[in-house]
Amino acid sequence: MEELVNVEAVSRRFSLDNGSPHHQARSFVSALSDASLRVTTGEFLAISGPSGSGKTTLLNLIGCIDQPTSGRILVDGVDTSKLKPGSMATLRREKIGFVFQTFNLIPVFTAAENVEYPLLIQGVGSRERRSRVAEALESVGLSARAQQRPDLLSGGERQRVAVARAIVHRPALVLADEPTANLDTHNATQLIELMHGLNQRLGLTFIFSTHDARLLEHTERIVRLCDGEVVSDNSTEGGIRG
Amino acid sequence: MAKFLLLAFRNVFRNRRRTMMTLLMVGGGVAGLLLVGGFFAFMFWGLRENTINSGLGHLQIFTADHFNRDEVRVLDTGIDNWRQVAANVKTGGHVRGVAPRIEFYGMVSNGEKSSVFMSSAVDPVAENSLGFRTRFASGRDLDSKPGGEVEALIGAGLAKSMNVKVGDGLTLLAMTSDGALNGVDVQIVGIVNSGIAEMDARYLRITLPSAQRLLQSDRVTNLVVGLDRTENTDQVAAELAPQLRGLPQQLVLKKWIDLANYYKQVRTLFSTIFVFLGVIVFFMVLMSSVNTLLMTMFERTREIGTMLAMGTPRAWIVSLFMVEATVIGILGALVGLVAGNLLGFLLNHSGIHLPPPPGNTVPMPFLVRHVPSLMIGSSLLVIVSLALASILPAIRASRLKIAEALSHV
Repeated sequence: MEELVNVEAVSRRFSLDNGSPHHQARSFVSALSDASLRVTTGEFLAISGPSGSGKTTLLNLIGCIDQPTSGRILVDGVDTSKLKPGSMATLRREKIGFVFQTFNLIPVFTAAENVEYPLLIQGVGSRERRSRVAEALESVGLSARAQQRPDLLSGGERQRVAVARAIVHRPALVLADEPTANLDTHNATQLIELMHGLNQRLGLTFIFSTHDARLLEHTERIVRLCDGEVVSDNSTEGGIRG
Repeated sequence: MAKFLLLAFRNVFRNRRRTMMTLLMVGGGVAGLLLVGGFFAFMFWGLRENTINSGLGHLQIFTADHFNRDEVRVLDTGIDNWRQVAANVKTGGHVRGVAPRIEFYGMVSNGEKSSVFMSSAVDPVAENSLGFRTRFASGRDLDSKPGGEVEALIGAGLAKSMNVKVGDGLTLLAMTSDGALNGVDVQIVGIVNSGIAEMDARYLRITLPSAQRLLQSDRVTNLVVGLDRTENTDQVAAELAPQLRGLPQQLVLKKWIDLANYYKQVRTLFSTIFVFLGVIVFFMVLMSSVNTLLMTMFERTREIGTMLAMGTPRAWIVSLFMVEATVIGILGALVGLVAGNLLGFLLNHSGIHLPPPPGNTVPMPFLVRHVPSLMIGSSLLVIVSLALASILPAIRASRLKIAEALSHV
């Protein structure tokens, strides 16, 4: 299988200044230290660990919305640490789909318009946008709710819209940060099955952070983090190197 | 692009109450400018037409010497062949008529007391044909028929000073064009009230033939040209100027605006006040809008983070905020236009009068003109203010750190 993500000895430290410019002795907190990870195309990978273990930080770094303090990350062969902000935005726009814990839908857009948004910023023509939005909403079972605004959708429906938005532009990689954290058991189970189905049917690569045991049951590969370090990886091929 | 504009438009109405407050503030600014500017425009228009119709006319013809040197003797810089000039001018388009005038001064006496007068000798028929209005406190206008006693109109202030009324007699003394002293007895047929106290204290008017007899000259000081509309002044002046250049006596043409110093001073003063008001409104809209738009930005931090995470170019975020602000500006301008014109209409029908301005004796009606250029200018002012106010929040939004924005609560 083709390598899609390669995290090489990545560390991320955050400074804890008190806001004063005269504060000399800056202290740092290490959110991720020397973590390495390889992900191949079509994987359904869970990053697990307790709160504060560095799951979100790792996803942010893979998703090019944060930069490592040291180490490097390759996404689809591109060294993201060498990219300028504009190129990183292009990479995110074209290759990555995001699903957030709090759904993060644009409240003034309908479900269909939210799903359409990634295509809009890619400059896809309106006819193709329409067909791909319909297809994406169909794949998450929300065609009938296409014209509803997020405030009229249930939590589960909102998250399914978010998934449709994440896959509509056919990204190489879907990153989901605690996607089931705000859902009840029924909706969480539906979402897990949906994501797993998309992974199986479309061959989409999913990396998601979770400590939801229900989600982990469906996952072939689980990378466990603790205190910013990769402590286990049940992959047979992907190695623990950090 | 359409979806992007739709997003901006919907975002404007996300927090309806706040948007309404902003629209009221922006609309209030536009309405205020329209009312103040409309009132000033009415004042300018009223003052302009009043200045022209009080006797200034739209154009005046003088000899070039009139402006080059002082008169040594009365009318020595006057126009010789004025009848021919007047006849030529009358044939022009948009010309309603031509009125010859002699401006001179002298002494007036009632036998007990003397005072200086400043006289304008006129042809009453020509003056009336141009619609020049004379406000009579009492009495009637001059009779243009020759013969009989010499008739005079005098200012209310001069009449009071000389203790005379309609029907009383006065003696006028003036220097003739030869330098001799001449006098004439006049009968007061009317007392006029120009509205300007200083003018009424010295003003006296007799007929042109009477003045020519008194001054022993056939010349006139100037020819006053009246047009059908003030807006045609430039066009007629451009047409007349070449005709005047071919005459034996060198004549010059002056537009009303060249001679209306009081009008120009008033206009400059009130225009400056209006610009000052415009600057205040600009800063009011700017400051309060910056605050509102910053609040909007903070509220939408996570949403902006999401958009950026999905790869939205930062320039789009800047554009989004600027378009939203511009939409608010356009809507606010529309609110202001409706409110300003409606209030102007109501004020125009309320019959409100203001006290007489300094130097005047007649109350001034409070009227508001609906000026298209003012509406466009005021609207553009607030739209530009809003667009400028959005720059800071827009740049801040576009520079958000995505990871921090996504965790914003």
